[in-house]
Amino acid sequence: MLKKIKPKNARSKRALQKREPKIEENVKKAIFIRSSSTNQLVNEALSDLCKLKKPDAISFTKKNNTIHPFDDDTSLNFFCEKNDTSLFVIGSHSKKRPNNLTFIRMFDGQILDMVEVGIENAKPLSEFKTSKCAIGIKPLFLFVGDLFENSLVYKTFKNMLLDFYHGQTVKNINLSGLEHVISVTAIDSSSEQSSDPRAIPGIVYFRVYTIQYKKSGEKTPRVELEEMGPSYNFRIRRFKFANDDVYKLATRIPKINKPKKIKNIDVNEMGDKIGRIHLGKQDLSKLQTRKMKGLKRTTEDYTEVDLEEMEEIPPIKKQKAS
Amino acid sequence: MDISDQLETQKSKYETITVEKQIPLQYDLALLAAFDTNALDESRLKNDRDNYLKEYARDGTQLLINQIFKLPITSSEMGILAELPEQITVIPREKPLPKPKPPTRWERFAKAKGIQHRKKSKMVYDEATGEWVPRWGYKGTNDDGANDWLIPVPQTEDPFEDQFSKKREAKKERIAKNEARHKRNIEEAEAVLNQPKGADTRSLRKVELQRQIAISKTATASIGKFDKTLKGESKLKGVKRKFEPSIGDVRKEKELSLNILKKVVGKKGDIVNVRKAIAKRDQ
Repeated sequence: MLKKIKPKNARSKRALQKREPKIEENVKKAIFIRSSSTNQLVNEALSDLCKLKKPDAISFTKKNNTIHPFDDDTSLNFFCEKNDTSLFVIGSHSKKRPNNLTFIRMFDGQILDMVEVGIENAKPLSEFKTSKCAIGIKPLFLFVGDLFENSLVYKTFKNMLLDFYHGQTVKNINLSGLEHVISVTAIDSSSEQSSDPRAIPGIVYFRVYTIQYKKSGEKTPRVELEEMGPSYNFRIRRFKFANDDVYKLATRIPKINKPKKIKNIDVNEMGDKIGRIHLGKQDLSKLQTRKMKGLKRTTEDYTEVDLEEMEEIPPIKKQKAS
Repeated sequence: MDISDQLETQKSKYETITVEKQIPLQYDLALLAAFDTNALDESRLKNDRDNYLKEYARDGTQLLINQIFKLPITSSEMGILAELPEQITVIPREKPLPKPKPPTRWERFAKAKGIQHRKKSKMVYDEATGEWVPRWGYKGTNDDGANDWLIPVPQTEDPFEDQFSKKREAKKERIAKNEARHKRNIEEAEAVLNQPKGADTRSLRKVELQRQIAISKTATASIGKFDKTLKGESKLKGVKRKFEPSIGDVRKEKELSLNILKKVVGKKGDIVNVRKAIAKRDQ
């Protein structure tokens, strides 16, 4: 636990204010960090994933002997608080778990979810001699496979990848600023049996493509892709998810952001807006219908009030023309 | 004139943007994401994986782009902007929701009494001088005549007392009192925000004050043994003062003193910054 800092001047006060909990949060920053032993492949993977996350990424290039997220989270808590980050990718390489990456996200300085993956068939960013996307551009996401819907582990992994790379939450997006797509495909097939005894069934293909727009004769352009890299095949190994209470706390929606319920206006399945209007009870006695002699009010129908009113108004006499 | 044929021929020059999918994709356009649950062709995935994945991703991206281009558009200096809908996928927050600030004592009192805040203009008209002056602060009106050139001495007061300094002192006191209250408000608010369950603000404040008293006692060599005791002050527990013997090991004493010197002067023992000193001499 870090000591609570008391700001001594206005600048540090502002800096601390930026770190305070807010209703509209800052972009989640990520730290890419090496464990006690890594190899070339893992190092490259860390730096490539970091490049994808830039500018909200911090790369730690020294190795760290004390980082074992599944056993002990103290150093991660420290890094989280010190750097005001809540996302981590830890790279490690051991005999037991070769080419290992651990994706971690935190809430309130504590670990929320962890997913550990092994890398197979890695191709770094530098291997693709193609044009890259600009820094800080929001990517498009494409998640393929019913595993992402049916399996809790894959579902959480999908949510974590979205969390890592979706960047700033915006209301508007520049249509000319859609440059790359992160395509993640998960499949659990017999042809892709794993040789890794510690992995759960299924494989995840992580690919990144740049988008090229071609004319289509319509408003929407035709899309062509070119692989930009990096490219990995992931096998999910260990994982640890938040318990329900913490998760509920982490996904609470602030009161201000909740849309106000509008009474009597619904949108049906077809997208039609339907409104209900309440009218008072209609007074049918005053309804104007066809005038008929038989329906005229008789003297019995007149109340006393009516009669008084009639007396007050003097009858207008017709003057005879002289 | 019918131009639909011409449009068709124009379109057929280019490749199509329509993609057929058995199960329609799900979209979360706020995140620019599409979710495809269709089954993949496993034999192609095995034999020609990278090309197949790329083709498949192209189709999915095309569908996603089609959806994005359908969104309501506004054009600005930055380019064409598409308005994104509400986010569907729930992504956990980074930090908990901010807690509402606890009300100050005045705010609590005002609420209990039903006192409402009325907005006052900052400048007020000063009838004596005919000028607009700030209600408070620098050159403000609430200086209670501290800048008057003449103050009548009240009959009940000592005629030789300096009324000017009296007013100045009174104002200083008021400011100090207000500051103390401000500090108390902040402390109480902090205690409420950080309190563990069941602890009340009063006892938390008491603990904090006791801690501060203990710190202040270290200022004297006797650790506050001969200090004036405050009203209701309890004796501190576990405080010991260690005295070194006045005759004894000379080497040990030297080491101790040197250690202190090292701490004060610096680790390397550089008392004089040579470069700075040379620069000073050359001036």
